[in-house]
Amino acid sequence: MKKSNILFALVLGAVSFTSCMDEDWKTHEGIIDNPPYGNNKIAVAEGSKVMTIGQLKSQYASVISANGCQQITDDVQLQVAVNGNDQGGNIYKQLSVQDATGGIIVGINATDQFAFMPVGQKVLINLKGAYIGGYGQMAQIGALYNDGIGRMDLNDWKGRMRILTQPESADSVAAVADTVDFDGNMGTDKLCGRIVRLKDVTISGTGTQTLAPDDGSVPLTSNCANRDIKGALNSTKIVLRTSTFSDFATRAIPEGKVTIYGVCTAFRGTYQILMRTNSDLIEQ
Amino acid sequence: MKKEFLLLALALMAAPQLLAQSPKDAETDSIPDEHEGMDFTMTESQLGEDDDMTNDVIQVGSASNVYTSNINYTWSAARFKFRALDNKYNDVYLNGMQVNNAENGRFQFSNIGGINDATRNRDAVNPFEDNTFSMSSLGGSTNYDFRAGNMATGQKITLSGCNRNYTLRAMYSYGSGWTKKGWAVYGTVGYRWSNMGTAYVDGTFYNSLSYFLAIQKKWGEKHMLNLATWGNPTERAQQGASTDEAYWLANDRQYNPYWGYQDGKKRASRIVNDFAPSVLLTWDYKIKDDMKLVTSAFFKYQKYSSTKLNYNGTNPAPDYWKNFPSYYYDVWETGTGEKDYDAWKSAYDYWKSGPEARQIRFDDLYFANSQLNKSKSDAIYYIQNRHNDQMTVGLSSNFNWNIDKTSKLSAGLQLNTNTGYHYQTMKDLLGGEYFHNVNTYAIGTYPDTDPRVQYDLNNPNKRIHVGDRFGYDYNINVQKFNVYAQYSKDMGRAHSFITGRIGGSRMWRDGHMRNGLFADNSYGKSGVGSFLDGGFKMGSTVNLGKGHAVTMGVGLEAKAPNAKDAFINPEMCNDFVTNLKNQKLVSAELGYAINNSWLRLNLNGYFYHTYQGTEWQCYFDDNEASFTYVSMSNVTRNAYGVELGAKFKVTSNFDIVALGTYSDSKYIGETDVNYMLSNKGTMEYSRCYMDGVHEGGTPMAVASLALNYRVKGWFLNLTGNYYDRIFMSATPVTRLESVYELWYKNNYRNAYIDENGRYRCDDVSQARGNGGFMLDASIGKQFKVAKRPLSVNLQLCNLTNNRGITTGGYEQSRSNYSVGTDGTISGRTYNFEKNPKKYYAQGFNFMLNVNYRF
Repeated sequence: MKKSNILFALVLGAVSFTSCMDEDWKTHEGIIDNPPYGNNKIAVAEGSKVMTIGQLKSQYASVISANGCQQITDDVQLQVAVNGNDQGGNIYKQLSVQDATGGIIVGINATDQFAFMPVGQKVLINLKGAYIGGYGQMAQIGALYNDGIGRMDLNDWKGRMRILTQPESADSVAAVADTVDFDGNMGTDKLCGRIVRLKDVTISGTGTQTLAPDDGSVPLTSNCANRDIKGALNSTKIVLRTSTFSDFATRAIPEGKVTIYGVCTAFRGTYQILMRTNSDLIEQ
Repeated sequence: MKKEFLLLALALMAAPQLLAQSPKDAETDSIPDEHEGMDFTMTESQLGEDDDMTNDVIQVGSASNVYTSNINYTWSAARFKFRALDNKYNDVYLNGMQVNNAENGRFQFSNIGGINDATRNRDAVNPFEDNTFSMSSLGGSTNYDFRAGNMATGQKITLSGCNRNYTLRAMYSYGSGWTKKGWAVYGTVGYRWSNMGTAYVDGTFYNSLSYFLAIQKKWGEKHMLNLATWGNPTERAQQGASTDEAYWLANDRQYNPYWGYQDGKKRASRIVNDFAPSVLLTWDYKIKDDMKLVTSAFFKYQKYSSTKLNYNGTNPAPDYWKNFPSYYYDVWETGTGEKDYDAWKSAYDYWKSGPEARQIRFDDLYFANSQLNKSKSDAIYYIQNRHNDQMTVGLSSNFNWNIDKTSKLSAGLQLNTNTGYHYQTMKDLLGGEYFHNVNTYAIGTYPDTDPRVQYDLNNPNKRIHVGDRFGYDYNINVQKFNVYAQYSKDMGRAHSFITGRIGGSRMWRDGHMRNGLFADNSYGKSGVGSFLDGGFKMGSTVNLGKGHAVTMGVGLEAKAPNAKDAFINPEMCNDFVTNLKNQKLVSAELGYAINNSWLRLNLNGYFYHTYQGTEWQCYFDDNEASFTYVSMSNVTRNAYGVELGAKFKVTSNFDIVALGTYSDSKYIGETDVNYMLSNKGTMEYSRCYMDGVHEGGTPMAVASLALNYRVKGWFLNLTGNYYDRIFMSATPVTRLESVYELWYKNNYRNAYIDENGRYRCDDVSQARGNGGFMLDASIGKQFKVAKRPLSVNLQLCNLTNNRGITTGGYEQSRSNYSVGTDGTISGRTYNFEKNPKKYYAQGFNFMLNVNYRF
């Protein structure tokens, strides 16, 4: 039985010795300082190579107001902070960014970019080769699409942007500097693309209605429901625009006064406020 | 149905037929020694190991038939399925104890992988052969002999090197034979290994230890007791199917989307851990010389888990459809899509820019989760581990009585109870801090504050950390019994048998989470589903004299549904599927055999018809942004085929083996479909027009010719195989009446209303794979070293490096359009129907085997 003893020992030894092949993976150092998203090779420009959103909008004002589209040939850079993304599923294939002079929409043909582009994150964007234009007379950076402004390819975006600094606050409201109270007198140029606050307003919609039902009870445009916002806002027409695909589409419309934070957009003279997440609507 | 019968009859008349019940020992010497060690090495890496691949290979192998005794080995590279049958129609027994998985009916061959020397003693029977342990199943039955006393005596070492799933293999076995005191001991231990640098498929590895130990004791001539225990702790990374476009872009048909780079190192996303320690106790009782009773008790506890990268953000799969160039450009010229060449080129260039672009970008995922930590948000990328643990207890007893020289009786009993533990744990949060146990698919349908979005109302909004259970957690319990009896008799020139069985099964679910969508029927026990089934088979072999024989068999059976198909959405609720019935099987076979000094030939024709079957599957429905659980009931299938096996003995050391089959297996008529959406929890009814859809994932026409030459201890083999009629597994998505209604209302793809007022469309055809030719060779030599035999064998497979043969795959369950909230459809540029996910056969590969007995 000696051989069988060897055999038993062999089996026992082998079973107790089996080890795992898959590694114990950990987050590696430097992933934040040297983000894998974007193009870390882009140098941070200085001086005249840095443009503000205000300057950009005024340079291409005629293209924007004509709903045109034009390629940017100057080697210039925006240094901006993300103020709106698709975290709540309400903003679709767009980011909004702002600096002290204003905000602008960036069209990117990709979804679920919020984790890479959190609100408050500072980024630089190389503009050379990108397109700027107007959609509903609102400024947008993107790519050429049917002679108008459309979304740029994700790889194009990743190649022309670089993450500069991380958000300073976890809160998407606090993370954005220079939030302004909405005032229609400021005009679309100043308001669009920015985060605005609308205080002491009410949202139209009665009874048990939700923000964006898809049951036919409210007309939809591009899968979005528009609810009138009422209050002292110095504007004739302003709506809360919510996608039926957003995480808060099924939220009941609050009956009393509310405070709304959101990305200000405009379409042919109507201001459209886009909430980013459910917490952008605060019941008073 | 009539047409198929007619075809079968014609086929049977046109060719001199089929198979025979020739003496088994006549064949044993025709399995050359050189096949030793190969039978499993060719197939073990492909047998039931990959949930995402076709795992339906059946180990038929009745030595009485030239065809069945050769096809497993010869056609395994193309994943040939015997008679286009799912593995669940092949019953596997160990010392008379049936061990097919109680939930899905399949036997997982990998559970006895790596113990090749211990699995050599087996009694494989064809569907219409009488035997000593069962009513043979539609796809045949195999009884392995795990008794220590019947194993080979002596020691043996086997070393192998190859470039397949694993790279190295070492095995050692020892058998004591019977000692004077009536003891026998046998054991084998083996190890199979490859890492990401050596495995044939990029991004996979294989790490498997196997052991088998048996000890047997004899008391006098009447009683023997055998205790066997075995298991093979295995860790392996999986390969995923992708589309032809991905293979083209990667310039590699073995491109594997399941791995990626993390900090410059290769990491697999899908890893299977499997260990099923088993114990089998067998009592052999020789009541009289012509009467014996074999009783076995079985216990198995299997720990099986399989990881998967999941997400609640951008799909991180590198071959996600929106990443392909054809997402941007209508390459199929269907006229509905975009033609954005610049975007096409940009995506093309990205794919071509290097392997990092074609694989998972783990660094991105860690970065995203790290960002989300700052805003105290849930991780959106994580690796989940899906567990499917099984505890099985079984008892069997088989009685065999040789009544007289011409008649035999056998009868047996099987009792089996099984608990399947199904749950999901968090394997890795990929840098994220936590995850909430909520149904993200239901958010949107309901506000995130609604209780219906909770996966477990008993622990709402639970934060999930690594190791925690989430999503689902339930047991499936199955209890089964089966009794059979068989009588065979020789009458004149005929040997005939009749066998019958009666069985029963009970099954229920036991939920451990109270799912928000099913607050009242997800936690605790479901109702119990009970089924009584049974059937009979009879067959006959008529010896026509001079080595000619005709065989025939018929069978009728009602087969209880498997628990796997019995619940509509077991991850969420207790509900059984509607219309759950016993599946009915009708089968017949006719054969002709020749056995003389220079030729052994078997020609068989078979037919089977199954109806009232139930099939279950689940897929992601992007138009509903929901998983859809689909139960097809009243499924009818017809299958028929001819099979030829012929061995010509040209000289005493040269023979030629010809094998061939032409067959079909397809759905007949329409099936009822009940489906559930996981974001709403509601049930819908529709019909599915599966008529004419073929069984996927197997060649259904194969021909091969093998030349075998033996001289002075050398063995040479050259085999050419041609495979054809390969179909992709079909999706119900493009065959549902509810979908055709949508198409009709949108004036899409010639959908119409038929005379019965039903929505139809004849425009959908099943995706096919490529057949092709494969050439294999083998050379072996036996030496004597220290007066003991040393065998060396080199197998060279796919010598012409044909990498174009499809071995399986499936149609994607997604649509070529999106549906607006108003019900209008708009065409997509990407075409899912033209992009089935496929697997291809490996190109040139080899295996070198050396074994030494001492």
